[in-house]
Formats: sequence, structure tokens, C-alpha cells
Amino acid sequence: MTSIVLRRAAPYLLPCTLLAAAAALVASQVTRPAAVLDMWRPWGEIGALATVMTAIVLTGGIDLSVGSMIALSSVSFGLIWRQGWPVSIAAAATLGVGLACGTVNAALIALGVAPLVATLATMALFAGLAMALSHGERIAGLPDSFTAWGQDSWFGVPHQLLLFLAVWFLAWIVVHHTRFGRYVFAIGENRLAAEFAAVPVRRVESMLYVANGVLAALVALVYTARGGAAVPNAGMGIELQTIACVVVGGTRVTGGSGGLGRTLLGVAIMSLLDIGLQFVSRKIYVPWSDVPWQLNANARLLLVGSLVIGLAIWNERFSSARGS
Amino acid sequence: MHDATVPLLELVDITRSFPGVVALDGVSLSLAAGEVHAVVGENGAGKSTLINIIAGLLAPDAGQMLFCGRGVSWANPVEARRQGIVTVHQEAELFPTLSVAENMALEQGLPTGAAGWVRWRQIYDKASRAVALLGEPLDIHESAARLGVGQRHMTQIAAAVLERARVLVLDEPTSALTASETDWLFAQIERLKSAGVGIIYISHRQEEIFRLADRITVLRDGRRVWSGLRKSIDRGQLVQYMVGRERADGLTYGLARTPPSRLASRLVVECVTAADGRFVDVSLTARAGEIVGVYGLVGSGRSEFARAIFGLERLDSGTVKVDGHARTIANPAQAVSAGLAYLPEDRLRQGVFRGLSVRANCVLSALRLLTKSPLTSVSRERSATLEQIGALDIKCRDIQQPIEQLSGGNQQKVVLARWLLTRPSVLILDEPTRGVDVGAKAEIHRILRRLADDGTAVVMISSDLPEVMEHSDRIVVFRAGRVAGQFIPAETTPETITVAALPTAPASDLPAPAWASRRGFRPVVRSEMALAAALAAMFILLGLSTDSFFTVGNLLGLVSSAAVLTILSLGAAFIILAGAIDISLGSQLALSAAVTGIVLKLPYPAAATIPLGILAGLAVGTTLGLANATLSIAGRIHPIVVTLGTMTIYRGLLISITGGDTITDLPRAFTEWSSVQRFGINASVVLGALAAMAAYLGLSHFRWGRHVLALGSSPTAARLVGISKARTWLLAFGAGGLLASLAGVLELSQTGAMQSGMGTAYELQAIAAAVIGGVSISGGRGSVLGVCLGALLLSSIYNAVVLWQISGHHYALITGVLLLAAVLTDRAWRKLEG
Repeated sequence: MTSIVLRRAAPYLLPCTLLAAAAALVASQVTRPAAVLDMWRPWGEIGALATVMTAIVLTGGIDLSVGSMIALSSVSFGLIWRQGWPVSIAAAATLGVGLACGTVNAALIALGVAPLVATLATMALFAGLAMALSHGERIAGLPDSFTAWGQDSWFGVPHQLLLFLAVWFLAWIVVHHTRFGRYVFAIGENRLAAEFAAVPVRRVESMLYVANGVLAALVALVYTARGGAAVPNAGMGIELQTIACVVVGGTRVTGGSGGLGRTLLGVAIMSLLDIGLQFVSRKIYVPWSDVPWQLNANARLLLVGSLVIGLAIWNERFSSARGS
Repeated sequence: MHDATVPLLELVDITRSFPGVVALDGVSLSLAAGEVHAVVGENGAGKSTLINIIAGLLAPDAGQMLFCGRGVSWANPVEARRQGIVTVHQEAELFPTLSVAENMALEQGLPTGAAGWVRWRQIYDKASRAVALLGEPLDIHESAARLGVGQRHMTQIAAAVLERARVLVLDEPTSALTASETDWLFAQIERLKSAGVGIIYISHRQEEIFRLADRITVLRDGRRVWSGLRKSIDRGQLVQYMVGRERADGLTYGLARTPPSRLASRLVVECVTAADGRFVDVSLTARAGEIVGVYGLVGSGRSEFARAIFGLERLDSGTVKVDGHARTIANPAQAVSAGLAYLPEDRLRQGVFRGLSVRANCVLSALRLLTKSPLTSVSRERSATLEQIGALDIKCRDIQQPIEQLSGGNQQKVVLARWLLTRPSVLILDEPTRGVDVGAKAEIHRILRRLADDGTAVVMISSDLPEVMEHSDRIVVFRAGRVAGQFIPAETTPETITVAALPTAPASDLPAPAWASRRGFRPVVRSEMALAAALAAMFILLGLSTDSFFTVGNLLGLVSSAAVLTILSLGAAFIILAGAIDISLGSQLALSAAVTGIVLKLPYPAAATIPLGILAGLAVGTTLGLANATLSIAGRIHPIVVTLGTMTIYRGLLISITGGDTITDLPRAFTEWSSVQRFGINASVVLGALAAMAAYLGLSHFRWGRHVLALGSSPTAARLVGISKARTWLLAFGAGGLLASLAGVLELSQTGAMQSGMGTAYELQAIAAAVIGGVSISGGRGSVLGVCLGALLLSSIYNAVVLWQISGHHYALITGVLLLAAVLTDRAWRKLEG
């Protein structure tokens, strides 16, 4: 009996220990909770992206173009708004841009191009479009009514965190409690067998990439609002942070195993660690010493990188919880 | 001929089991020189296991193997091959992106000289001789993907003949051959026999066995049931041994039941023809309550027919009616809603989801029927699964158990349950009892009969003649893509069916394979020509539109700035060719440059620090690449995850050693060497050219380079010929790191400064250049020339942006469009190749 409990718990031992350590670190340094919640804003955006990315990775796919879709959406919003359209119209049009980007990805993948290559190409394409359309300039002076979307809170909870939780919950339902979700796992486990079992493989994959485009546009709106300006290099590198959250949580990059619960864990670990390390890089006064202790930027990078690899190896060793 | 004192090859009491099945149970076999020893048995009798043990693919659990009287145990297939045991498998594993000649050579290990220098002349000579032996006009430089199945076998057999094998194992060699090819094969076998080669011959075809064999061994259910000289057995006895004496004696084929014509027709297929011509004008009817057996050889069109009816392949013409309604079935989902179900022939690849639970496997195709809403209902799934487990007597601990823990027979029953849950009118089964133990086999047959009795029309495809004879009410025989006849089991004999299924004039009967008509340039050459044309067009456009393009200064600037990207792209290409990916190359470049920079700043004379610094940088780059490979192999994680982590780690290390400061004021001798000009070219260009040359030599002329391509082309085939994945990846990642550091040192010299953001996102440009240059992202295909052209094209676009005074922001857009074009072209070519 004990051995079964241990075996079930094993996959979570290391991640949860790390999580607890990071949480303790943050908690020991917090004097104003609201300020800490503010530090979570970028992680709310990454976390939201990590939800649909989880589903994509579960099918054995990947989407490298999310960062570029954010850049293109951000620029599109700025340009449309500058033409004199109201914020609501501009925002709706931006979601349309995300939909179009996602459709391009879906079409390429439906043609049979490997997702890694297809989204590598569109990553360059969308980023290039964002640069070309904006001439590399930021579009500032967005109205307060808009910037509030990315800077305000609701009952003390930053909008980004609300967005994350809402999207996460929706994705959790879809991936773990619908027919569509079952198809996602089946495709990732054995794509050929899924076709033979009458799973609409192409349709499921296409829907995921299109959904990711729309989500990227949604995140781009919040991102743009937070920064107060539309920027052509918005979201640069965010795809790698997003994928890191998914992988650290324990979803296998080759598909078929993992899930939204694991991604929640991944986002929690990555964000707490990042925020905790930001405190450490300021200066920490530890009780047992008079000399303040400080961690450098390099050590942060080393820690985060080692964590990604270490947890990936750990998850691979203990990947007993598979599928549903 | 049979008086040799010591047998050439002797197996003594070989036993081998797999989870749930004892595949071989104390089997002995002895092969003399100059003898053809036929091994016969039904599917699942243990023949393939036996071959795999002889070939070194499997190790026996117990028993002994003697080769020329000495006890042997093969560590891998290559060792068996070196000793002279050549096996031609029924399913040839190929390196699809490599040439026919190289495929032949890799089977035996590439012939090499000193330091692993590949002897291409020898490879081509041997391949030409093999092709000459075949007497077929076959291009040995063609990529192997274009060979038909028969041709694959023929080339392998020809290579084996030339190799002076001592033992030749042939597994169903004629299953994909035409009549004239078969005659050729038999002539070769006679030749080898007289040369003293021992041949183990596996075949279902009795004609061949009685024509060729000197000695016959019959296997049944993993045991040897008979062994002796061919002369001492006749065909009837052989069948009895294969099928089992008890069963054969009391067997009455096709029990009397309601005459099928009086039952309602459930499936009516009229005159269907496949879009790819693999079957023509096929009609078939299945009625409620009957089991229709479909018999035919591999490639006769029977499985293709079933897949097309089920919407997995395209039909050209003909009609399909299910329960009286005409249906257009374009995909499996439509087939399911029409009332069809199809149990695929290859359980592992097409049937089971190994890591998913029994429940998830069971309900997958019936989710739409279990609940109308898109939400799933675990309780209904559970009860449906439990119901099927009871009905089909599936043995499992728990319905949440992963299906891979079940025995083969139980896995097959779960897949069958998946289809029964869709409540089909017509159930099509393709080889339902292949790889299933005897007990489960009998149960599956009972289940099929019960389903038929309950009103389902069952269509059972099988290449197991006794199974078809014993368990169907009507037999439809496929031959060469057409229906060759219909038989009632009680009114016919196995011989009649066998004769009906055998191709009479196969060469003309068989539809010509689609690849045969396609000829022309090899794709790699084509992609390079397209690139060169694009580059030339770019240059002409630039030359016409600006005065300053064709100045020496501008061209030199273009080529030397291209040198860094070229070198880095070659590094990326090495890794992609090996079937991996490295997104930490930019960080590797920066960290190596930082190490070089730090050494250069040491307070010693420049004459000492410059060579030392460069060497240190290169050593660091190589180490970082090796570290990536080691982490991926030892940690068993995908290279993209490893390098996602190390790209951050290496950047962190960089900041640790530089403290985040920019390194400037490097020795002049260092910053100037890259732009030293001699004869109109500078050191950067020379370095780039040297790196390209070295990469070309490594990839084309050294054994390890060929192994990099072979591994990327097919990991499975690579394992079969003994190419170590660990060693090859270490080499590829090491080369990648070395080239990245070389690019870093060069950039350091060109810019004279190193800051911590150096090389950011370079890896994506490098991967883009490689893909534009025709490197296949799944590995195994690409050329150094293509990569260089790709890098040059990207650099010239950057140059154009500067010259045309377009805002630099269009550079990214053009890169994107180019990359997209490259991806789509690659896709189109691969589709053309089939």
C-alpha cells in the first residue's frame, strides 16, 4: 500500500519540493503582497499561452510562432487604433489577425509540413510582418481605457492572472473532459492508429493551431495594455518560456503524456522561481549573518536552465501518470 | 552434398518468449553447407523469431547456436553479418534518403581505408555488379525511397550473393516478386547451393518449397513438429503438420448453416477501383450472419481494398452500399457513421495506443455514441469497457492499466472491443489473429462467429489459409488487384484456393508501380540549382539597381559577413542531418567567443594569447556541443528540451565569466587577421571556405559523416546495421559546437568586441539557412553546398536591404517569406518522391 502511494507521489516529489522552496523564498521577502502580485503579470500572460501549448505538445506538435503572433497582433492593434478606430473595434480586428495567423499555421501543418518547421517559418514571417508594418517603431499614447486592461486588478487580482486562470480552466475542461481532449491524447500517443480509429486528426490539429493564434492575439492585447504601447518586438522569446513551463510541468515533448494540471505546476514553479530570484538578486538579509546575500543574473540563468533539464529528466524517469 | 561432417549452422533447443507468448519453445534446426532448408509454419508459428535470432536481432532466452561447430552468440546483426550470415528480411528497412548503392554498402558496413575514408569507388563498383547481376536497368545513384518492394528485395539478394555469404536466410523472398524475378531468384539459389552456401528459406508457397528445399522443418505454435528430408513427405502431410494432425483429421470446413443468399445484404461493393490502381474493378457482398473470408497474398490488394472502403485511401470509381443505402466514404469518421468498422492488420502501429489505458483504448471510436454532448462521461465509458471485458473475456488487472502491459491477444481483443462499441453493421478484420497466441486465436474465432450469428456481416481478411478455410462461410480470393474467384469452403480444397491466389502471369498482371514513370534530376541537385538561380537573380537585380553592388569592397563585405552565418549554419546542419536539433548554438557561439576574448586580454604577449585564445574558444564550443548530446542521450530527453535549457545555462555561464561586461580593446593582430587581404580575398572568406570544405569532406567522405546522415535517414535501419546513436550524436553535436565556436571567434575578430547579448537568436537564422539550403528538418537529407548557398542568399538579402536603403525591418519579412517558400518547396518535392 505504501509502495503504491510512493510510486504515485514520486513524479511530484522534486517539482513540489522546488515549488515549496521558491514559495518560501518569496514569502520570506514579501512585505507588500499587492506588489508581489504585480510581479506575476508577465507570468499570467505566459501561463495563459502555456495552456493551449500544452494541448499542442500533447498531440506531438509545437508552436514556435506564438511570440511573433503576439508581435504582429500588438502592431496591428496599434496601427488600427492610430487610424482613428475605437479601441473595441481595434481589439476585435486584432483577434481576427490572430485567427488568420493561426489559420496559416494550421494550413501548413494540414499540408503535412512538420509543426516545428512550419511554425519556425511563420515565426520569421509574422515577426517580419510586424517589423515591416510598424517600420520598427513603437506606437505609444494608447488611451487609459485600454491600458487599464493590462494594468488594473479585479478584487486585488491582476487581470493577467484572471486571464490565466480562466483560460486554464477552459483548457482543462476541453483537454480532460471532452471528446476533443481524448482525441488530443490519442493523436499524440499514436497518430497513425488515431487515423485508423476514425479520429478526425487533421481537424483536431487545425483547431488547436487556430485557437493558439486567437489566444496569442488576446494575450497581445493585455501585453500591449500593460506596456502602454504597441511594439514590434513584443513577445520576443516568449515561446521558449511557454514551452519551458509545459516541459517543466511534465508534459512529454513527443506527445501523448501530460496534461493541464502538470502545466499549472510548471507555471507555478517557473514563476515563483523567477520572482523569488528577483528578490534574491536585490539583497537578502539572512537571520544568521550580518552580511547581505545576493545572487547575480548569471546564477538566475544557470538555475532556470538547469531546472528545465533536471525536471525534464526527472519527469521522463517517473512518467507513470500517462494519458487518461 | 549432405555428407558434411559438421553442420554449417546448428540451433539447439532454442527458446524465446515475449510477454504473454512463448514464441519459440526448444526448437532445434541444422543446416548443412550447400543445402536449402525450408522452414514452414502458419503465421505466429515462430518463424520470424527464429530468423531474428539467427540474424542477431534477438537473443535466445535459452539454447545454443553453433556456427561451423563453434558456439556463438551475436551481440548485434552486424556481427552475424561479418561472420557470413546474411539475412534478407521480408520488410526491408531502408535509408530512404540515401542512394541505392550506399544502402547496399551500409548493410555490410561501409568499406573504408585509413581513418575511416570511405571508398566510394568500391561501393559503386559493387553496386554496379549487383545491378548487373539483376539484369535490370536500375540507377544505383537513385535514392532508395524510389525502389519498389520487389526491387528492394532483389538488390538485397544480389548484394548478398556478391558478399560471399556462408549462410543466406531468405524470409518470404518471392512475396513481392514477379514471375521472371522469381525465376532469377531460383537460378541464384541454385548457384549459391553449388558454391556451398547454406540457405534457410521461409515461404508460404508449397510449390517453391517442394521445388527448392532439400530439407524441411515445420514449426507450429513455437514448437518443431516435424523435420526431415523433403523426399520423405508429401504436400498433404506437410499441411497436416502445419495445421495440426488432430485438427486436420476431423476438420469439416464450413459448417452447414442458412444458405447465405437468403440473408439480407449488409455490405454491397460494386466495381470499385483504387485511385492509385492497386486494385481494379472489385465487387464484394457481405450478408448479415455470414463470415466472408478474404484470402490473397501480400500485395494482392486485399488490405488496400479494405482501407479504401473504410475511407483511409481514395477510390476512383465504384459504389459502396451499407444496409441498402449508397454511401460516399471519404474518411473513417464517415465510414463509422455508415456502420462500418475496420480492425487494422498491424496492431502495434495502427491499432493500439500503447501508453493509454485499456478504457481510453476501448472507447475511443465510440465516444460520439456514448454521450451526445461534447463532454465525456467517465461512468458510461467505464461501464461500456467493463461490459466488453466481460463479453470478450479480456484479461486485465484494471481498466486504468496501460494497454501495453496486456498480452498480444488481449490487446487485439481491446481493439476489437473498440469497434464493437460502435455497433457496426459490417465488421472488416485484417489479419485478426496475427501475432496472437493459440488460446486467444480460438477465442477470437468464437467471438466472430457469435457476432455473425447476432446479425453482423463479418469480413475476415487473412493470409492464413487454414484460418480462412475453417472459419468462413464464403471465401473471396484476391489476386493481383482483382477478385480471382469465390469459393464455398465445404466444396473446395486448400490447393484450389492456393492456385487461385497465385499470380499466373504476374509481370503483366501487376499494376505498374507509380514511381516507375518518374525520372529526372535527383531532388538535392534540383534544390541546389533552384537556390543558385535565386542567388544569381538576386545578384543581377542588385547589380542593375545599384552602382555600388559590384564594387570589390561591397562584395567582399557581403561574403565576409556571410562567412559567420555560413559556418554556424553548417554546424546546425550537422545536427539536423543526424535527426536532432540544437537551439543553443547562438549561446555556444557567444560563450566560446567570450572565452577567447578573456584569454586574449591576459597579460601575456599577443603571440601566445592569440593561438591560445582561439584554441580555448574552439575547445569550449566543442565541449558545449558534446554536453548537449550527453544530456540528451543519458537523460533520454528530446534534444529540443535539452538545448532549451542549455541555451539559458550557457548564457548564464557567459555572464559569470565576463561579469556582464563588454570585452573590447582586443590585440590588434587578432582583430585585423580576419580582414587581411591576399589576392582580393580576405581571411574570413578563406576560413568560411575551409570550414565548408571540411564539412563536405567529413559528411561525404568519412564513415562517421555517412553515419550521421544514415542515422537521420532512419534510426531503425541504423540500429539494424549497428550504427550507434550515442556515438553519432556526440559527433554531430561536437561538430556543431566546434563550428559554432569557430563562427564566434570569427565574429569576435570582425567586430572587435564581445557583449553578453552576442549571438542571440543566431540559431534560428542558422536553422533557417539550412532549411532554405535544402536540409530536411527530419534529418538524413541535405548537402554542404546547399547550406552554403542558403546562408549566402540570406546574407545577400541583408545586403540588398542596406543597398536599397529599405528600412532594415524588411529583412526579417524577406527571411520569413523565403523560409516559407523553402518549406513548401521541400514539401512539394517530397510528395513527388512519394
